[in-house]
Amino acid sequence: MTVAGDNCLAIRQLSLRVDGQMLFRTLDLAVAPGTVVVVTGPSGAGKSSLLAFLCGTLPPEFDAQGAVWLDGDDISRLPPEKRGLGILFQEPLLFPHLSVRGNLLFGLREGDSRKTRRLIVDRELDAMGLAGFGDRDPVTLSGGQKARVALLRVLLARPRALLLDEPFLGLDDANRAKVRQLVFDEIRRRQLPTLLVTHDRDDVACADGPVVALTRP
Amino acid sequence: MKRFAPFFALLILGGAHATSPALAAADEQLHAWPEVQRLGSGQTVYFNAWGGDPAINRYIDWAAAKLLEDFGLRLVHVKVTDIAESVSRIMAERAAGRDANGSVDLLWINGENYAALKRAGLLWGPWTAALPNARLIDWQGNPTTRIDATLPTEGYELPWGTSAFTLFHDRSHVQSPPAVPAALLQWMEAHPGRFTYPQPPSFLGTAFLKQMLLLLAADSGRLQRPAADDFDQVTAVLWEWLDRAHAVMWRRGRLFPRSGPAQRELLGLGEIHWMMSYNPAEASRAIRQGDLPDTIAGLHFNGGALGNSHFVAIPYNAGAKEGAMLVANFLISPEAQAGKADEERWGDPTVLEVDALSEADRARFESLQRGAATPGPPAEILPEPHPSWSTALERAWLERYLR
Amino acid sequence: MRRPGILILLLVSGVPTVAGLVAALWFGLDAAAFLRVLNTPGVGLSIASSVWTGVSATLLSLMLAHVVLAVANTGNWRRRLTALSLPFLAMPHLATGIGVALVLAPSGLLLRLLSPWATGFTEPPDWFSVHDPYGLSLIAGLMLKETAFLVLVLSAAQSQAPTGRLLLQARSLGYGRLKSWLVAVAPLLQQQIGLPLAAVLVFGITNVEMAIPLGPGLPPTFSVLLWSWFVDADPQVHAQAWAGSLLLLLVTALTVLAASRLASGVGSLWRRWAESGSRLRRERSLRGAACTIMGGMWILGILALVAILLRAAAGPWRFPQVLPSSTGADSFAAWSAALPGGSNVAGTTVVLALATAVAGALLVLPAAEALRGDANGRRKLGTCLFLPLLLPQITFLFGVQVLLVSAGIDGTFAAVLWSHLIFALPYVWGVIGPARAAIDPRYAAVGRTLGAGPVRVWMTVTAPLTLRSMLLAMALAFSVSVALYLPTLFAGAGRVATAATEAAASAGSGTLRLAAMHSVWLAVFPLLAFAAAYAASAAVFRHRRGVPR
Repeated sequence: MTVAGDNCLAIRQLSLRVDGQMLFRTLDLAVAPGTVVVVTGPSGAGKSSLLAFLCGTLPPEFDAQGAVWLDGDDISRLPPEKRGLGILFQEPLLFPHLSVRGNLLFGLREGDSRKTRRLIVDRELDAMGLAGFGDRDPVTLSGGQKARVALLRVLLARPRALLLDEPFLGLDDANRAKVRQLVFDEIRRRQLPTLLVTHDRDDVACADGPVVALTRP
Repeated sequence: MKRFAPFFALLILGGAHATSPALAAADEQLHAWPEVQRLGSGQTVYFNAWGGDPAINRYIDWAAAKLLEDFGLRLVHVKVTDIAESVSRIMAERAAGRDANGSVDLLWINGENYAALKRAGLLWGPWTAALPNARLIDWQGNPTTRIDATLPTEGYELPWGTSAFTLFHDRSHVQSPPAVPAALLQWMEAHPGRFTYPQPPSFLGTAFLKQMLLLLAADSGRLQRPAADDFDQVTAVLWEWLDRAHAVMWRRGRLFPRSGPAQRELLGLGEIHWMMSYNPAEASRAIRQGDLPDTIAGLHFNGGALGNSHFVAIPYNAGAKEGAMLVANFLISPEAQAGKADEERWGDPTVLEVDALSEADRARFESLQRGAATPGPPAEILPEPHPSWSTALERAWLERYLR
Repeated sequence: MRRPGILILLLVSGVPTVAGLVAALWFGLDAAAFLRVLNTPGVGLSIASSVWTGVSATLLSLMLAHVVLAVANTGNWRRRLTALSLPFLAMPHLATGIGVALVLAPSGLLLRLLSPWATGFTEPPDWFSVHDPYGLSLIAGLMLKETAFLVLVLSAAQSQAPTGRLLLQARSLGYGRLKSWLVAVAPLLQQQIGLPLAAVLVFGITNVEMAIPLGPGLPPTFSVLLWSWFVDADPQVHAQAWAGSLLLLLVTALTVLAASRLASGVGSLWRRWAESGSRLRRERSLRGAACTIMGGMWILGILALVAILLRAAAGPWRFPQVLPSSTGADSFAAWSAALPGGSNVAGTTVVLALATAVAGALLVLPAAEALRGDANGRRKLGTCLFLPLLLPQITFLFGVQVLLVSAGIDGTFAAVLWSHLIFALPYVWGVIGPARAAIDPRYAAVGRTLGAGPVRVWMTVTAPLTLRSMLLAMALAFSVSVALYLPTLFAGAGRVATAATEAAASAGSGTLRLAAMHSVWLAVFPLLAFAAAYAASAAVFRHRRGVPR
């Protein structure tokens, strides 16, 4: 195991309990910048709960011990919006009541004028190969397009680390490889420490990073 | 009712609601008129009055507008289906210990309801003598202004209008209108299904029972004293007449219109050929409004018409007593009374002694037109029986016909 | 943050209900008054006609709703049926009752349309077609409303069960549409609709809104008799009314109990029928009969609305004229002139209904938020809020009035608003609770990880996604408020005049013209509210097809 460095996402001595029952063995883990650590494990092993703990959205019936550090700070007690962790789920979860551009503007950090913000978003869409999609209703997009918008939305929020919850599972074969490549390229380009939860062998292969299996205690 | 106070003291208010019983109304100072005017101006007066007739409602709206203009007083017409609702409300307030700022400031009342409130000590007064306009009332010529169904008013209620029981028929179906009970019965037997009367104990239904009893009873003077053990004996003639009538009445006497206006509506639609009213001008006004065809005509029974006055009274716990007095004084002003007597607006005979008014005020009354369906004055005004007869008649009627 | 919202909601709904019941027990348990009730002329007949009309109307409505849904269980027809039922659901009982009376009376619209060319009548016949002693017209009026209600309740329940596959299975075994439905689907749905069905039964037995314009007259149904005692001047009669309202509670409880016992008996017969293997042979004619009745009821409903408008406009309206002799601008002037305090009444009605809608939504939202992940808690809260609908209104509302009088707040706007909330909250909760829970919690999680605080996430993500349900819930609360009569009368101390109190008072005194005038508001306001809610719901997010409806 790597030692937690300054630019790492680190999990220290983490254990999760429901009704006194431990979900997996105490976890210690550090993710270096630009690295994708893969977390696997049987269903019900607590993979989603682990991600919820990291994000700060763990339901109160869970009892969590341990801490999560990012860039040398303990972020365990911070509210989700202050943690600087971006998450991508299996479904793209674009807000159905906002346009594609509205979704991206929601992600984009504040500052700049309205006009500039729109320009930024449209430029990024262009770079993603989605030029002219700003006014579209998210529901009308294809699976691959939605996934790209979701990725863009996360990146615009300038996260310091990324969490991926089987994000390529819902895509067809052709799109899956393309989107996966896109995501991993961005991770490396931006040097984001990343935690990937997946069952998919191809995901593991492409991640090219350490694999951690959650096991029952 | 006594269980009220301790119960709520315990359960709801933790003992904080242990108020003393009602203050006797007479303890309160009766202000001189200028003081009443000063205090009453700007008050809001809740006037509980029967709201079933649009014309009457409009008249009260008119009075409210005048009072707002003259005194800045807000008159709110609380429309009730039966004034008994308001009487029970005052009693409920008394039981709950709400002895000031009650929800009723002035109410339109007479007969049984007056008797009930007076007996329970829930009326404020005497106050009517303090009104400047009270001297215009025809106290001597019209005894019903002083005596309400055999009970003296004693200044606790102010006469507001008078009435005489009148029958109306559709001339296109009734050629020679019968004016005695026996002839009416004959007509009904010849024309089944076309006569009915409002269901007792509604105001007008009970009035019909009293009118018929006054005409049929061997000794109508007996009705001026409280009903007693001889009730069955005195009323036997009435039940005999009604039993025969019901057999040939509208819906065979198994359904009755619920009120006077309901009966008027049935006449207008053509379901029945008769209606009745305490107001001799009702049909004329309804014809003008287009509610009845112009073939309607009115008549009084040859034996005389049941007559009475109706009144306004102030409950013991009224919050705006001075305002209520201002309203009452306006309601018996020549201007308001002439408006009330106007058939185009209400058509209710006045309580004022018209001959004693100033020339200008007298002219207000003399210019009024009498409609074609309004009969002349009745041969005789038959005074209301003692209230105990109304109650007993209603009960006996229900027991007899509600089975 | 979790509990207070639920607690406040329960207090708003529960405190007056429980206190009203306690007061009803306190004042009702009076042996002398009970004796007087039992000695009242015609009281036995009166109770019997309440139970008879309530039970028959509920049973017939339920059967009709099932048969109609069985016939129309393909998607398109079900949607059309729901759309056809909505106007009847929106129209208050009182207005429907008054309208049906104006159609069915001997001088009513139906015979006018047929006279004299078909019937030969030039004068209205002396028939018992409304207020009949057997309560048949009352049953017909109740069926008009309750069938529509049950159709909607059943189709909502249907979407929660795998009904489509079950039906297909049964039909592939050689059963017709009707028996497939009745055997494979109906028992499943019956288990889910127990509470609403009980509420229909209780309302059928205890209502005054329909019994006043349509019910028997001599004697009236028991609740109408009680209502007339409550407004009597004599304190002895009041004690009688309190005792009587307890008797009504007892009779209602016994009937509901008997009905549920009977239902389990019917259940075993049902199973035997299912196991008999018989394929219904005359299904087509049965289905035809149900559709005819349904069509007839639909026409009756439309005629009722037309009759209200005609009667409100018509001054002189001699039988057998179909149209009143004066129409147009002329009669509109007469109408507004004849309507006492018309604009005031309409204004109070609308303001009260709007306040009920807004307050209802505001009260329900925190609880919906707190219970979004707790299906069991949602079900329990829903049941608690529904309880007041299972009580005879007249029994606990008089208790509520006594409470309000002793607190000195009777007749205030707030008191009436509170009483309306008791009846609106179950519906508001029924719409908003599940809708809030159905929103994927990960939307909020995504919002948070993108850097938005909890308040901003609620405002920009959760609220917009719930908006359409909120609009529908508010329209429901609005129409419930417009329709409420007894709560307005009791809490308003007769001083808060709404279209419902005025229409009921006029219908109570038999002046149907005035009743029709007020019923125009009663009928129109809820329809407008639903139309506005649907229009707004369609207009916002017009280009966002992914937003939940």
